[in-house]
Amino acid sequence: MNKLFAVIKKEYKTIVKKKSFIIMTILTPVLMAGMMVVPVLLMKVDRSDKKIAVADYAGGYTQALSAVPAEKSEKKKGGLDMDAMNEMPVTAGRISFQQVELAGRDAAALLREYEQKVLKKEIDGLLLIPADVKSQRQVSYYSTSISDFTTLKFIESTLRTAISKQLLLEKQIDPSVVDEATREISMETFKVKKEGTTKSDSGMDYMMSIFMIIILFMILINYGQMIMRGVLEEKTSRISELLISSARSTHIFYGKLLGIGLAGLTQVALWILLAALLVSRFSGMVDAAILSFLTPEIAFYFVIFFILGFFIYAIPYAFIGAAVNTDQEAQQFASVLSVLIIVPYILGISALQNPNSTLTLVASLFPLFTPILMFMRITTAVPPLWQILASIGLCVLTIWGLAWLGAKIFRVGMLMYGKKPSLGEMLRWVRYK
Amino acid sequence: MSEWALSLHDLVKDFDGKRAVDHISFAVKRGEILGLLGPNGAGKTTTIRMVMDIIAPDAGRVEILGEGLSDKVKDRIGFLPEERGLYRKLKVMDTLLFFGELKGMKAAAVRERGRRLLQQFQLAGYEERKVEELSKGMAQKLQFITTILHDPELLILDEPFSGLDPLNIELIQGIILERKRAGTTIIYSTHLMEYAEKTVDSLVMIDQGRKVLDGTLATVKAEYGQKFIRLQYEGDARFVAGLPYVRSCRDSGREMEIELEDLTKREQLLRDLLGKVTINGFQLSEPSLQNIFIRKVQEGAGA
Ligand SMILES: Nc1ncnc2c1ncn2[C@@H]1O[C@H](COP(=O)(O)OP(=O)(O)O)[C@@H](O)[C@H]1O
Ligand SMILES: [Mg+2]
Repeated sequence: MNKLFAVIKKEYKTIVKKKSFIIMTILTPVLMAGMMVVPVLLMKVDRSDKKIAVADYAGGYTQALSAVPAEKSEKKKGGLDMDAMNEMPVTAGRISFQQVELAGRDAAALLREYEQKVLKKEIDGLLLIPADVKSQRQVSYYSTSISDFTTLKFIESTLRTAISKQLLLEKQIDPSVVDEATREISMETFKVKKEGTTKSDSGMDYMMSIFMIIILFMILINYGQMIMRGVLEEKTSRISELLISSARSTHIFYGKLLGIGLAGLTQVALWILLAALLVSRFSGMVDAAILSFLTPEIAFYFVIFFILGFFIYAIPYAFIGAAVNTDQEAQQFASVLSVLIIVPYILGISALQNPNSTLTLVASLFPLFTPILMFMRITTAVPPLWQILASIGLCVLTIWGLAWLGAKIFRVGMLMYGKKPSLGEMLRWVRYK
Repeated sequence: MSEWALSLHDLVKDFDGKRAVDHISFAVKRGEILGLLGPNGAGKTTTIRMVMDIIAPDAGRVEILGEGLSDKVKDRIGFLPEERGLYRKLKVMDTLLFFGELKGMKAAAVRERGRRLLQQFQLAGYEERKVEELSKGMAQKLQFITTILHDPELLILDEPFSGLDPLNIELIQGIILERKRAGTTIIYSTHLMEYAEKTVDSLVMIDQGRKVLDGTLATVKAEYGQKFIRLQYEGDARFVAGLPYVRSCRDSGREMEIELEDLTKREQLLRDLLGKVTINGFQLSEPSLQNIFIRKVQEGAGA
């Protein structure tokens, strides 16, 4: 037993003392915070006041556009991605629309003149409203940046409303009825959880899920490869002979797994701590959706599925390290294994849209996929407890089998230099205690 | 407690149909130094690997310190593998701590004994250096320290002198003798027979996987009798090999080891040499292990 602890201690200390460990431990939460704050900042920049020239050949639409306070209507369009950040207390920029003096010029002539203005940034864009807009429903917008969806959406919906109003008014309908008929609607999204329904933003949840899974995915690969390289180093430097002649191969193998696993757990624990610290310190600045996402429950499952995933992937990585003879060979096999880890990740993307489908359920119970898929499901729509427990049970069984086989293969592979062992020899080795 | 520290019974190992170790048996007395001698590829390392349980024998059995190779017994053995290797990124003291604890030592004991040994091997002050920062010779010495750190009862050293400069060879030889005086049983393999001559109590010679000779140094030498003349000379002495009463001779240019049919012919030899070469030295001598080995292999091939 003391030998097992000696190996655990050495492996743990070796990793925890590495510069890369310390850097990753600190940098990851900072990056994470950065990734949440940067889109907000970008939006702030993007929200500077905008000046849009309107060449209104139809007439009357400039007033319609100017009549609606831009920032108010923007807020109502709850979509995916960036919009999720709208709930941050950001002062939205205003859009001012300026009527262009047409003075009898046609659209082509006007465009030539205003293209220059757009390029010189005198104005942010030119909106061309042709005379037949009512029937054709076609306007054109010229700008250096046409990816500003909020502005585009705003123009689009305001024009549609204005046209609808006009059409209704022409039909002699009571203006108050027209107002009522064309009033915008806003949608709020709610997430149904066992602990109670909370107001949530599906976009934010989606981002956070992807985010946590990327982290899980990265550390699983990272720690797996660390084991692989460690085993290969011992093999190529022949330290393996010293180890095997000093302790049982099972103690060396399990000690290595546990030592490196504990180092990984330390890192995860530090991340959770740092995240908790950051969130509590800057809670005012953080989106309510993030706060409602980062529950102790999620942290707990993150730890559980990190541990399960670590063993499920680390043991095959250790196989590779013990079976091959060079770094290149190791990398080749490792990339095959990485694909196996990517599969649940890709399945997971569909799982996010469809967390309760049969495919998702079955795949998340498959032990090789469980750590990533089941965790992904938990972050989106909490599955029934029996499913979680069943998946954990299956993982534990798989790990038990892998560990048994792993110790045998480790013993054989570590001392096989240069050539591939024959099957008969392998069998003799596996039986050898 | 049996008088044998280690005994091998009919060990056999094949690699891809080629026999690397062919029914090797021998035993090592407690407290003595045994040399496992033979040219490169003779099967020394394979034999030692089977003793250390690194590879399984195809047949035969090993008894070590009175039992099989259990965890407890492993703690009482110090092993220096032929291919040296340490963790490159680990610091010197951490290396000692790891291997010491792996042998069941307490950390404090490792520190204390480790410091003393580092001192003895002129590595004091390197405790916090990484192994990769050491020169090759230093790393070899560190490896040797990890082998003897836990004060083992039995030392098994595979080619302990290879890759070392003369000063360090002397250092290691000194340590081997010091260990022996402290009661440690020592087995070492080498293909350099001159080194063995100076330190071993008994020896086992193997060639192509087979044992060709074993016994104490004294009996082995006695068996070959005092039929050797060591001649130091200048000039051309090639004619000596053709003399009818000379059985064999090994010429190293200025020194020649001459085996006579029988010792009474030595005056005849002296007469034949006079006037043809300048004689700087002429004395009766024991045969060298090298010579005994060559004779033994030739006999085996002839039989
Ligand atoms: N792992 C191995 N696979 C195949 N052949 C081997 C292996 N190890 C040793 N041999 C062969 O066994 C013979 C004995 O080698 P070895 O025990 O290393 O000799 P020595 O240590 O006396 O120089 C050699 O012919 C060598 O090529
Ligand atoms: Mg050898």
